[in-house]
Amino acid sequence: MATELATNDAGARASVPRALVSAAADLSTPGEKIETRTVGQVTVANPVMTARRVNVHYSDKHAIKDVSIDIARNAVIAFIGPSGCGKSTFLRCLNRMNDTIESARVDGLIALDGQDINDKRQDVVQLRARVGMVFQKPNPFPKSIYENIAYGPRIHGLVANRADLDEVVQTSLQKAGLWDEVKDRLENPGTGLSGGQQQRLCIARAIAVDPEVILMDEPCSALDPIATARIEDLIDELRQNYAIVIVTHNMQQAARVSQRTAYFHLGDLVEVGATDQVFTNPRHKLTEDYITGRFG
Amino acid sequence: MEGHTVRTFDGELLNLRMRALAMGGLAIDQVQRAVQALVRDDDDDAREVIARGAQITRYAQAIEDELVALIARRQPVASDLKAILAIGRVATDLERVGNAARKIARLAIELHAAPSGAPLHKFHGDVRKMSRLALAMLRDALDAFDRVDVVSAATLAPRDQELDAEFQLALRELVTYVMEDQRNLQSTIQTVFLIKALERVGDHARNIAAIVPRLARREDVGVVAGAREEGGSPVEMLPAVAVRRDESLPPQSSSG
Repeated sequence: MATELATNDAGARASVPRALVSAAADLSTPGEKIETRTVGQVTVANPVMTARRVNVHYSDKHAIKDVSIDIARNAVIAFIGPSGCGKSTFLRCLNRMNDTIESARVDGLIALDGQDINDKRQDVVQLRARVGMVFQKPNPFPKSIYENIAYGPRIHGLVANRADLDEVVQTSLQKAGLWDEVKDRLENPGTGLSGGQQQRLCIARAIAVDPEVILMDEPCSALDPIATARIEDLIDELRQNYAIVIVTHNMQQAARVSQRTAYFHLGDLVEVGATDQVFTNPRHKLTEDYITGRFG
Repeated sequence: MEGHTVRTFDGELLNLRMRALAMGGLAIDQVQRAVQALVRDDDDDAREVIARGAQITRYAQAIEDELVALIARRQPVASDLKAILAIGRVATDLERVGNAARKIARLAIELHAAPSGAPLHKFHGDVRKMSRLALAMLRDALDAFDRVDVVSAATLAPRDQELDAEFQLALRELVTYVMEDQRNLQSTIQTVFLIKALERVGDHARNIAAIVPRLARREDVGVVAGAREEGGSPVEMLPAVAVRRDESLPPQSSSG
């Protein structure tokens, strides 16, 4: 039953096997459409990731309610919303980080390149290499700068020899805009770098395993404005090669770095659209109230 | 524009709007007094209008300074940003209305000094009528701007056409006047400039009214928001998506 996932708008109408996604059981008729209460452009052509009717419960709490959205290739999408709106929870669904939370239950369909990431046979370590993550606080391993980058490619068997590994370390650090600052001290501990450098080291570590998607959860909230500007500049460069999903409390940052913006509110995905449109002509009142600072 | 979590921002926006409306009041008064100075042969009044022109310029500068400061400090977006930029545009139009008033006052003084016998008072009726139309337009445009009244704002475009028609009518009359006696040429040209200034006031009123629809928020989404808030109907339909059960998936190596 290898139904090919349609990776463009025209074809994205085939069915989801019932067994795979219980919450999406009503999607099973080809050509059928599902309803969403989200305002705006939920689908994109040729998405790298697709979420349909995703629900997350933490024990009794319904944290994510029927969220459907596509993640576009080579673009940055920002998730914004007040604290507790579910934006980080939803981000963590995209590489199954919620698996580590005992009480969390995720329903619905999340597909990466047409494969259900919640499929029992999905290797979660492999998944997290393809959908990398950068956290709020830089968290380099307590090892050398070199080892921080080399670890991933080595355990994933991406390199054959030391020369290959050296090259991966160098290109990853270059892509993360850190190479010139650290090339002479690769054996120094990663934790000895400044906060902004550590965060770029973490980004280099994520891209060393050649991901398709990079998830960033408040990547600049612990950084000063200059370090933040460098990360934002880097994000813009990285989108040439990766899809980036960024959660941020800083609305100006969302406006600066993203091409699409999604606004979450109390577990609902209220609105998603081109960033220019969301910040100039938000279609939903809740979005407008939030971005203009009219929210309690 | 009220309701921000940071309440001082509300106060700043309100101040800015009030300042623009006060500037509008002054601009209306300037045009009114300039026209009165003309028809009443009152050069003193005309000179006062010219002197007061500096006040309008000061208003415009103060509004611009406040706009820049507000944008720098608050980084407004969406409706706030549009409201703030709109105030800047209104101030620009009002400054030009102020310039028109000054021009009318200056021309009034020149016309009063024209050789007697030039029967320019014939045109006072036209000038009065045009100024009545133009000033009513300006008042209504500012009112529509203040209340974000899209319906009222929409009346300004046809009224501007009416004013333009009055201008064309007066212009034709003035041409015949020159044809009768070429010695009237200079004062006729001055009168043309004068009625052109009034016609421009109407254009500025129309410009201000044209901003109003852009300030009306989410008119296309009121229904959607309502439906949602009532827990109601679906807003959009998405194509369903299929997944591939790829038999070549690597074997499970970790539960994460």
